[in-house]
Amino acid sequence: MKDKSIRWGLPILLVLIALPAVVQDTFFLRVITEAIMWIGLALAFDVLAGYTGYLNFGHGAFFGLGAYTTAILMMQAHWPFALALPMGGILAGVGALVAGLPTLRLKGAYFAIATWALSRAVQQMALIMDITGGPDGMRLPSFLNPQFFYYLMLAIVAVTFALLWYLLECSPFGLKLKAIREDDQGAMALGLNPTKLKMQAFILSAVPTGVLGGVYAYWITFIDPASTLGDLVSDQALVMVVFGGMGTLIGPVIGALLIFAFKTLFWAYLSDFQLLYLIILGAVIALSVVFIPNGLWGTLRGARSNRKDEAKKAGSSAAKLSQSEGE
Amino acid sequence: MDGILLGGIYITIAIAFSLTYGVMHIIDFAVGEWIMFGAFAGYYLNKVTGIDPFLLLPVVFILFAMIGYLIQPVIHRVLSGNKGNPLLMGLVFTFGLAIMFQGIALTVFGFYSNSTPSVFSEGSFFFEKFGFSLTISSIRLAGLIYALAITAALHYLLKKTNFGLGVRALALNRDSAGLMGVNGKQTASLVYGLYVGVSAMTGVLIGCILSVSAQMGTEYTIFAFFVVVLAGMGYLAGVPWAALLLGMVQSIFLIYFNPGHTLLAVFAILYIILLISPRGLFGRGV
Repeated sequence: MKDKSIRWGLPILLVLIALPAVVQDTFFLRVITEAIMWIGLALAFDVLAGYTGYLNFGHGAFFGLGAYTTAILMMQAHWPFALALPMGGILAGVGALVAGLPTLRLKGAYFAIATWALSRAVQQMALIMDITGGPDGMRLPSFLNPQFFYYLMLAIVAVTFALLWYLLECSPFGLKLKAIREDDQGAMALGLNPTKLKMQAFILSAVPTGVLGGVYAYWITFIDPASTLGDLVSDQALVMVVFGGMGTLIGPVIGALLIFAFKTLFWAYLSDFQLLYLIILGAVIALSVVFIPNGLWGTLRGARSNRKDEAKKAGSSAAKLSQSEGE
Repeated sequence: MDGILLGGIYITIAIAFSLTYGVMHIIDFAVGEWIMFGAFAGYYLNKVTGIDPFLLLPVVFILFAMIGYLIQPVIHRVLSGNKGNPLLMGLVFTFGLAIMFQGIALTVFGFYSNSTPSVFSEGSFFFEKFGFSLTISSIRLAGLIYALAITAALHYLLKKTNFGLGVRALALNRDSAGLMGVNGKQTASLVYGLYVGVSAMTGVLIGCILSVSAQMGTEYTIFAFFVVVLAGMGYLAGVPWAALLLGMVQSIFLIYFNPGHTLLAVFAILYIILLISPRGLFGRGV
């Protein structure tokens, strides 16, 4: 599995690094940059949803927290972007710590609504506070260098992916999280500390989200409560993960690419029917839960491993047959 | 006084909500959306037929109970699936439904930019005339009477009938209840229908007392959840007190402080209570 991942990951990374040299069109580069951002957001969402079994409907709040922290530090305190960005990530992590303290004790379903309510509360806070600019949002100094943001986004998401791949697929940490997902009590009986692990997973999910939010703020140069703290960020991350496949790292990438491509096309050609997008989003969630509960990637992989199993079975029964014939 | 009345409305939402959780073990994210649809149903039925909304309550109840009864099997299918994490998927499913409903409502009933849900630009979304020619405060009184009646009816249903016994048995232990001859599937469908019906009815009432908008659902989902957590999950007897408390807090903030801070204040209270006593105000939750 490990060398396979390097075999696949490295060429893709190389292609992505070389891409801006080929693609000169700024609009197209912008679309790809945003697609990469959504991959990162979906990956971070999946840490908690797929691996730990906790749905964080406040994902958008951490995105917004990172965005606002970076923006406020840059505009009010005049910090350089390079310093403000990590602070965005750190603050998102602290936010996860504070929010997780009472809510991670709740059962899965309650955690979901608690984080959802939290995101509402954060949005409300941004609306009424002075430092955030209220409903008008904030403007950042524009730094028009699409390639810089492309590489920054790519670097952050690639590092996130590598880190998550190592932690969740190659180290015991991922197994521990899965143990909690499958059986909280059982994991505790095995000597794991579920609350601590859940907290770690929550922070692991929140920090990249906050950093991506910070990059987004500087990239788009305008943030307001409706766009960065709204439900749409959480909703879309959820759709991508559920549609692509929960509990894997490849699934969210596929989901993010497909859903984002759909979204871009939709907004390009059917922008008059924005509300339809909400309906489609909800319908995709509901339908994929009913028909492909393992997501696109999980279903594909399941079909492949089934075939392998069958082949193995057929092979072993053939071997048995020849053995018995030999006797 | 307003707080008590508002709390009365929350009671009806939260009891049905917590009942559904007890039987199906999932939280319905679409609760606010049912309320919203109910409110719109009341609004349009009132407009078309001219009948007083209070007399329309049974009609709305039956209509939505049937919808809920028909939708529940799909949720049941998701919940009893053997793939993935069924409970999680059930949650995702109702969340998807909620988004979809909201999109449909915004498309059909109109959309006013992403402003806070408390701003209603269209005056026509208010119920202005009533057959009773009651003043606002007596409408609120009627709302409280309605809440008490619904609570009493649900209490009777749960504690005194065979159906209620089955529901309580299911909430305690699904498998054993099945062995004792409780039809889990059908009971769950009935409970879900009951819950959707009650939510929609309460929606009609909210439409009378407060207002109707396509974006109102979210707020009530959050409040229903707050009440249930404050009371302690699955502890039905705590629901009325938690609902009253929440109603009081909300109206105190509406009157004496900035209405924009209400959600924050409620959230802060919830946060502190969860830190001190994770099992709700009474320490009796699951």
